[in-house]
Amino acid sequence: MAATTGSVLLKVPRNFRLLEELEEGQKGVGDGTVSWGLEDDEDMTLTRWTGMIIGPPRTIYENRIYSLKIECGPKYPEAPPFVRFVTKINMNGVNSSNGVVDPRAISVLAKWQNSYSIKVVLQELRRLMMSKENMKLPQPPEGQCYSN
Amino acid sequence: MAENGESSGPPRPSRGPAAAQGSATAQAEPKIIKVTVKTPKEKEEFAVPENSSVQQFKEAISKRFKSQTDQLVLIFAGKILKDQDTLIQHGIHDGLTVHLVIKSQNRPQGQSTQPSNAAGTNATSASTPRSNSTPISTNSNPFGLGSLGGLAGLSSLGLSSTNFSELQSQMQQQLMASPEMMIQIMENPFVQSMLSNPDLMRQLIMANPQMQQLIQRNPEISHLLNNPDIMRQTLEIARNPAMMQEMMRNQDLALSNLESIPGGYNALRRMYTDIQEPMLNAAQEQFGGNPFASVGSSSSSGEGTQPSRTENRDPLPNPWAPPPATQSSATTSTTTSTGSGSGNSSSNATGNTVAAANYVASIFSTPGMQSLLQQITENPQLIQNMLSAPYMRSMMQSLSQNPDLAAQMMLNSPLFTANPQLQEQMRPQLPAFLQQMQNPDTLSAMSNPRAMQALMQIQQGLQTLATEAPGLIPSFTPGVGVGVLGTAIGPVGPVTPLGPIGPIVPFTPIGPIGPIGPTGPAGPPGSTGSGGPTGPTVSSAAPSETTSPTSESGPNQQFIQQMVQALAGANAPQLPNPEVRFQQQLEQLNAMGFLNREANLQALIATGGDINAAIERLLGSQPS
Repeated sequence: MAATTGSVLLKVPRNFRLLEELEEGQKGVGDGTVSWGLEDDEDMTLTRWTGMIIGPPRTIYENRIYSLKIECGPKYPEAPPFVRFVTKINMNGVNSSNGVVDPRAISVLAKWQNSYSIKVVLQELRRLMMSKENMKLPQPPEGQCYSN
Repeated sequence: MAENGESSGPPRPSRGPAAAQGSATAQAEPKIIKVTVKTPKEKEEFAVPENSSVQQFKEAISKRFKSQTDQLVLIFAGKILKDQDTLIQHGIHDGLTVHLVIKSQNRPQGQSTQPSNAAGTNATSASTPRSNSTPISTNSNPFGLGSLGGLAGLSSLGLSSTNFSELQSQMQQQLMASPEMMIQIMENPFVQSMLSNPDLMRQLIMANPQMQQLIQRNPEISHLLNNPDIMRQTLEIARNPAMMQEMMRNQDLALSNLESIPGGYNALRRMYTDIQEPMLNAAQEQFGGNPFASVGSSSSSGEGTQPSRTENRDPLPNPWAPPPATQSSATTSTTTSTGSGSGNSSSNATGNTVAAANYVASIFSTPGMQSLLQQITENPQLIQNMLSAPYMRSMMQSLSQNPDLAAQMMLNSPLFTANPQLQEQMRPQLPAFLQQMQNPDTLSAMSNPRAMQALMQIQQGLQTLATEAPGLIPSFTPGVGVGVLGTAIGPVGPVTPLGPIGPIVPFTPIGPIGPIGPTGPAGPPGSTGSGGPTGPTVSSAAPSETTSPTSESGPNQQFIQQMVQALAGANAPQLPNPEVRFQQQLEQLNAMGFLNREANLQALIATGGDINAAIERLLGSQPS
């Protein structure tokens, strides 16, 4: 609810946070390699988001655009969002049959802090694409999506 | 509370300012909105009507980003904008940012066509066009890496110092300039002998990481490489310039026919983008991008001018060696690609590669190239850079690990063929040779310009001696010792190690240029060998000659040893303290944020002063 003025920690209300993130997504804050926004503009609960990661250069993901679905639950930002890839990808920490990102395998999701945001998650996933263990994994042909 | 009010209007943040702006603008009809387009590299602002479609928006920005509209992918708020949507539909208002990804030609075409093609068309036809382009790819790849053939080295990023890359770009330009060079190069017997070894060629090709990547994406290429018949044919063609030209002509003809066939152009384009472009891009990365990236239909002819080193040329000559045979095989395989153009397409691709091979070979032999080689030999710094290039080193390592291969390469040198004695001598010395090559002392000695100069002087002196006073050195054969890059000044050591250098001498000028090619594999061993054996300082000619007639090696050796000792005595060791030598590089590394002076110094020493390679080393020691 409203900021607890008495406590030391400022707890920002969920919707407030998500609106801020929406604005950031639309303004293109960041380096332009990730993008995120509401899946449905009329979604008043600001729960379902889509994200996009541009494959980092000099990796096997180069020049590809990866689409993701992000779900911010009611406890967001105290609880991490659910993230899953829509575009098929072969990467550690991502379930290869349905694209769900395993929260235990991705450090920002496993050690989630309420200062993290959707942007942080996307950027972290992109950074993991550049890691030695991921950057050369053979990928499925471009343009394939997980069937839901 | 206030939050409730806000939560009821999710798009509020964007609509709010937009609404305000909208009312502020004076225009009644389509409001012009300013949208920022952001790519990972740049950011541009565009003013477009609010109600424009994504397609129109793409057209407006395509000019600014110098791409075609179908290469542009726009992303807003995590969604890809499709051409038929409108900006309003996605809620793109004034002041918002849209992300842009510019797809290079190969991806969308390659990837999207691959699944469909892999199934039918390119199952077999792919192998033909791909095989055709493979030669080009291997052509461009090794060239891009700037080293011999496939080069066990890789790390196209780890190019040697800027001097060398300048050299490479110069060479490349010259290569592009003149086709005759290619022919001349092809006629170089050494080149031909190298090309005649399919295993070697395959090794070199496979070692190239970009090649490996390409093979991952296009498995047909690996089939091509593994097919000994194809390799042999390819190599044969590489060796026969006349045949190559013949094939080229046929290919070009077929290609032009193909273009006129409806759908044929697409097949051509697909071929180009699938295979050749990634190769060209990879190869050309360091040369400022693929010059043919924007070339549309002329891509096929464009390939021909792709510069390459000798090894690259090998695969170029297309597997479809006997044109009639290839045509038939091509036709059967490419039936699916395009109607009647199928047969043409494969042969066309072949023609491309052959054309490229031709160009490359001819380019090598232009006077320009020769002068370049000359410059290189005269500038020891270049040689040092080249030798210390990581790929050179790894190539030498692989050579040393595979002494048979090295022996084969060296023995194939035409010089040796005339002198079987020399061959015999060389053979056992090869492993020691290569060992010395890898000795960092050797490299540092080689990298010392003064040392190199001194070596060259010695060599020249010996040459003069040979002609003026043949009696002194009875076994001297004048004219053999062509500017070897000197041997390191040091303890005299046995003269025999120099022996091998001798015959290689004629090639050494090209040797250090190793990457440049014809003398490729033998080049480095030769040239580095000359620098390598820390013992012998005598220039190549003398020692080689002295050792070849084994019976007379005694007095010659003594003579040379004496000379060397005298020279060594006269010249104090000139290698400055590595710290002093690398002072400038250390400063640069410091400025870049590598504060560990010890590690920097070690990395610099290991890479011989090559900052880029040193950085790679330093970064490699840290987890990414």
